[in-house]
Amino acid sequence: MGSALIILIVVLAVIVVVALGIVGYAIGGFNKLVTLRNRYKNAYAQIDVQLKRRYDLIPNLVETAKGYIKHEHDTLEDVTKARNIAYVASQAAAANPGDATAMKNLGAAEAGLAGTLSRLMVVSEQYPDLKANQNMMQLTEELTSTENKIAYARQAYNDSVMVYNTDREVFPSNILAGAFNFGPAELLVIDKPEQRDAPKVSFS
Amino acid sequence: MDFFEQQAKAHRKTKWLVFYFILAVAALIPAFYIAVLVVFSGVQAHQYYRFRYHYYNQGPPQFSAWNPPIFFGVSIGVLAIVGIGSAYKTMSLSSGGSAVSELMGGRLISTNTNDSNERKLLNVVEEMAIASGVPMPQVYVMDDENGINAFAAGYKPGDATITVTRGCMRILSRDELQGVIGHEFSHILNGDIRINLRLMGTIFGIMCIAIMGRILLQSVRLERRDNNAVLPILGVVLLVIGYIGVFFARLIQAALSRQREFLADASSVQFTRNPGGITGALKKIGGLGEMGSRLSHAHAEELSHMFFGNGVSEPLFGLLETHPPLADRIRVFEPAFDGVFPEVRYDEEGQAGPPIRPTRAPMPDIPNIFGTVVSGAILAGGSEPPVIKPHVVLPVLGNPTPLHLKYAEQLRDSLPDSVRAAAREPADAMALVFAMVLSNDENQRAQQLAGLEQSAGAGVREKAAALYPDVSQAAAHAHLPMLTLAIGALKQLSPDQYEVFSRTLNWLIESDDKVEVFEFVLQKIVLRHLDSQFHGATKPILQYYSIKPLAPECSVVLSALAMAGSQDAGEIQKAFDAGAPYLRAPDDSELGLLPSEGCGVEQLDNALNKLALAAPIIKKNLIEACAHVVGADGVIMESEAELLRAICDTLDCPMPPLI
Repeated sequence: MGSALIILIVVLAVIVVVALGIVGYAIGGFNKLVTLRNRYKNAYAQIDVQLKRRYDLIPNLVETAKGYIKHEHDTLEDVTKARNIAYVASQAAAANPGDATAMKNLGAAEAGLAGTLSRLMVVSEQYPDLKANQNMMQLTEELTSTENKIAYARQAYNDSVMVYNTDREVFPSNILAGAFNFGPAELLVIDKPEQRDAPKVSFS
Repeated sequence: MDFFEQQAKAHRKTKWLVFYFILAVAALIPAFYIAVLVVFSGVQAHQYYRFRYHYYNQGPPQFSAWNPPIFFGVSIGVLAIVGIGSAYKTMSLSSGGSAVSELMGGRLISTNTNDSNERKLLNVVEEMAIASGVPMPQVYVMDDENGINAFAAGYKPGDATITVTRGCMRILSRDELQGVIGHEFSHILNGDIRINLRLMGTIFGIMCIAIMGRILLQSVRLERRDNNAVLPILGVVLLVIGYIGVFFARLIQAALSRQREFLADASSVQFTRNPGGITGALKKIGGLGEMGSRLSHAHAEELSHMFFGNGVSEPLFGLLETHPPLADRIRVFEPAFDGVFPEVRYDEEGQAGPPIRPTRAPMPDIPNIFGTVVSGAILAGGSEPPVIKPHVVLPVLGNPTPLHLKYAEQLRDSLPDSVRAAAREPADAMALVFAMVLSNDENQRAQQLAGLEQSAGAGVREKAAALYPDVSQAAAHAHLPMLTLAIGALKQLSPDQYEVFSRTLNWLIESDDKVEVFEFVLQKIVLRHLDSQFHGATKPILQYYSIKPLAPECSVVLSALAMAGSQDAGEIQKAFDAGAPYLRAPDDSELGLLPSEGCGVEQLDNALNKLALAAPIIKKNLIEACAHVVGADGVIMESEAELLRAICDTLDCPMPPLI
């Protein structure tokens, strides 16, 4: 009776220790996923700040340009339309950072906006009065600086998303991710502007 | 009470915490034991009387009060649950203040936010950070909470975070916000935040039993079998006894937090010199009625000892209150308060209601001429630098005054726009820090900028070059405040970007072959605070309680300081000898002026790392010694003052600007 009982106790103790080890590891893994998810959401907030700054600058830009380039009505209207589309897309993305449709929509909308803006810049080259206007120069300078900051913040966001996605897919964290519904996060990709019309954005 | 006494007192409090905790567990075990014994005996009796015929050759079961197997089983079970619960919670809090803020559903506020309410909050926090010498904490807001409440969390001033409710931002005026944030900064400076975090970890274990009981009861309810009533009974037992645990946990929370709230209120008023701020905030909480400071989050109970106001429902007994009553707190500053709270309208547009006017006249304002002196001194070569004597250094450490607050506000506002804006953007903050360590020599600077472009990109290089003129013209006492603001923004970098930043900073500092002490300490401050953010917050564990084993390290620090102040060997020796006695080291310690090879940058680095683990009293003596070394020539110059402040920061002792 004595030795069998001892063996039983030892086996039980080993099982308990192993079980505790697994539980501890699972807790650590879960916390890491949560931390990484918060990190990319915070990183998106950085982009959001810069985007808002940009969306606020653009109407000023359009107003300033309107006085000088009355004939290029279409170009200015395109910019305003693209800006509004991008604004709506950014609101959706801010509500759900990392969500696939929201990020893709935002990327497409931003690319469209960049396209119309570059067209506006090309057009305004032909109007030296506009180019020399102090307000215009200051606004374009701020716009460029904001775009640089967006690029930087986007890089940070994409880095954080990569780290999160990797941890999510790696074994054994993928078990935890599946069990607790940690969905994949989407990178934010903004293509270089091309000469094209405002993109069709789907809100399905 | 001075900063070091506070810290030492806070450390002692944690010992009381452990004691109460052991008491609680010791109370739980007998309670459980009795309950399990009763249940077990009942089951035995039940079995015996039901199946009497099978046991006919045995007598009725013998019951005894002492049943060793059950006792050991129960003890081990309770200890295991409590131990695992506490360990789990402590592990989940290992990333410091931000873990707690995110647990409560807080959203990080970007340092470059455009929202006016958030901007106002950040400005208040910035002023306090500069005024108190605490590095800019991360600020979170709980969007779903409409009451007025706030808390500070973290292990050290370097990784502290401040979280406020949305109600705070929208309902409180700027003065009242300052009062609340001042209260939270007092918690940071008094060492409360560390106790609070440890408290959270420990009492979670005690509360675990009640939680387990509840889970057991809920899960078993669905599959009850009439002949096997053990599990539900066990659930009820766990739940009932678990509430004993919760009771003890609340007692501990209350005992440790109640008088600290009065202390933090007092420190806040000492800091802002405006009792109207904090009393206004308290009155608005009262004016919101029942739900004034209540938080609706599920985890609010775990943190109830950390909040500004009462965050959970009123407990039954006065002893269990984590906060003194609102009226009492107001009467500390307004003895004539009649207990009637003015009604607060919660404006739908989100505009704060008008500030509640204090019934006592506010203290006289700081004279305005001070402002011109400060702004003149921002640019180097303005009016005369302030004359600081060594003996004023120690009393002011950890005890910022309203003068510091005013100074901080004016200094922040008189920073060049480009610098101020840069300090709030993560990318530009990097460039700002680089600009602060660029060489004075033009050729070398060009080389450094070229290297910067390779390492961190053209954008950062351009920005650093653009900021250099403004930065180099700023007076010495503006550097640490700029750094404070920049650290706030740098905490928002991604881990990869942080790696690039720290690598580049290291390279930049070593690139001009001569590392100045101030440059080195600047780098140490930046990397130390950011490392705790990116590589996990380390809990400060005291290792040294006596100065004797640290004598070599103290020699390094004092020698480096002496050499930074003068080139003449005689002067250096004189300075060292002026400061060494203040260490109060025993006579046989190895304390002596080191040659310049012995107190280089690497040795200084190691020395400061080790000294950071010393007991508060040792740090106090060391800082006093440093102040006297630096002031040996009769007065402390601006640059020396900043060096002193920087060294204090690496020792986790926030020193306000010396004015």
